Amino acid sequence: MSIKLTDVFFTYMSGTPFERKALNGVSLTIEKGEIVAIIGHTGSGKSTLVQHLNGLLQPSQGQVSIDGVNLAGNGSAALKVRGQVGMVFQYPEHQIFAETVYEDIAFGPRNLGFTEAEVDKQVRDAMAFVGLAFDSFSQRSPFQLSGGQMRRVAIAGVVAMNPAYLVLDEPSAGLDPRSRNAVFKEIMALHRSRGIAIVLVTHSMEEAVKYADRLLVISKGRVLFDDQPNAIFTQHQAELLEVGMDEPQVYKLSSLLRRQGLQLPEGIKDADELVKKIKQAKGWR
Amino acid sequence: MISLKGLKHYYTDADGQEVKALDGVDLEIKKGEYVAIIGANGSGKSTLARHLNALLLPTEGSCQISGLDTSQEENLWLIRQQVGMVFQNPDNQIVAAIVEEDVAFGPENIGVPSAEIRQRVDRSLAAVGMSEYAKHAPHLLSGGQKQRVAIAGILSLEPKCIVLDEPTAMLDPQGRKEIVQTVQSLNKDKGITIVYITHYMVEALVADRVVVMEKGHIRFMGTPHEVFSQVDELEALGLEAPLAAKVASELRKAGHKLPQEIITDEELAQALCQ
Repeated sequence: MSIKLTDVFFTYMSGTPFERKALNGVSLTIEKGEIVAIIGHTGSGKSTLVQHLNGLLQPSQGQVSIDGVNLAGNGSAALKVRGQVGMVFQYPEHQIFAETVYEDIAFGPRNLGFTEAEVDKQVRDAMAFVGLAFDSFSQRSPFQLSGGQMRRVAIAGVVAMNPAYLVLDEPSAGLDPRSRNAVFKEIMALHRSRGIAIVLVTHSMEEAVKYADRLLVISKGRVLFDDQPNAIFTQHQAELLEVGMDEPQVYKLSSLLRRQGLQLPEGIKDADELVKKIKQAKGWR
Repeated sequence: MISLKGLKHYYTDADGQEVKALDGVDLEIKKGEYVAIIGANGSGKSTLARHLNALLLPTEGSCQISGLDTSQEENLWLIRQQVGMVFQNPDNQIVAAIVEEDVAFGPENIGVPSAEIRQRVDRSLAAVGMSEYAKHAPHLLSGGQKQRVAIAGILSLEPKCIVLDEPTAMLDPQGRKEIVQTVQSLNKDKGITIVYITHYMVEALVADRVVVMEKGHIRFMGTPHEVFSQVDELEALGLEAPLAAKVASELRKAGHKLPQEIITDEELAQALCQ
């Protein structure tokens, strides 16, 4: 079970003076159950890439298949597998439209032809997942909620469709640190309990290293690196800077401390680990 | 430059509930100062920012810009020429199909003579490092470049103060650096007063003063060192201290002597490696 891209090219406005190549031969496989982060500067092609994952864009050349079904066909099999991939776009709260939280979340499963009883169950489960109490929120207008809550409603709307793969385009943009952590806690819980594969497009190197098993660095419409985040951040700092990316803060601080003579191992991932390693290096207990 | 006294902003939401977005804010910002405002979503940061060029008016209390009260309608033009705003999404702030025309839009609107518009456009684009893109189409630029064009559009009105409301929220790391550097140089080289709202604490480190908001109030403020060394207080407000401050605080809690004021990587390195 996987999403598979084979030698995918994509050109915007092909055959016009505005023609622009956005993808230049991308081949990759995203397995069910993986957590993949995608980074790349604005215009690198990462948004174009993720829009291929559920057939919103069709490749100019090459092929995309989900669970072995080619998305190029318009047959029912292609439509069905496309429904396996849930997409949460940037600022998903802008996609909210219904009068109540319930109606907004119910829209997706209803469209998939679920019965009302099934829809109700999906809505309740999805709300529980994103931490919105059914009794206090289901009948409220989504537009009266805080930014973080609206974003959870939008994520719940996608979760309610039971996707096997969930693609999130910068789910934490514009949120304060606490809401950011809360949104990720829910995403990780979804991953763990339902085995949903997560594809996370992000501008935050911290999120990539903290949450992903695998990191794709996109540049000029190609996959520049595809490896564990730690391996990329420790081995390719110079190249990352060149393509407008950066190191996570904790890597920067650790390597500064190393350069100044503190014996710290490579690959320290967060503040807690760094504190522990500093104590060891200093012989403190 | 900016004087807020007992500023309150209440409104009634669709459910008929009164929301106290600002509930008594006193703040003086001096000419040439660089002030960062941080706070959780819904703490009132953006509401505060929108008072500074009279997009919103106080329910109670006062907001004065260079002595001009925002509640006096005849002051509005003068205030808006002095205080420019930059928002999160550069795509929503760009109006023209060519970069230099976009930058010229503001001065055209206020009736600046065309020879002077030319000069202002050139100066503004130079100030944000975008001169070579003057003839480009904005939609083909990167996020950081677009946001710099938006800033140039404000600069061409020759404001005394620029208010930036999460200008880097949608940008990649390179774009974020570009904006922080641009804003710093406008402050240092041109003496423009800066009010900078952000969720990225690293970006607030370069400010002269950091204001921390919670539930419509100013919770505390001070230099970046004073504010960001309060690691636990920040976390209680849903914010995050910079990594070096957090690490130093954990080490101090474990009983190791480190100076209270560590907030940057360099300061931590110095304390640990000397």
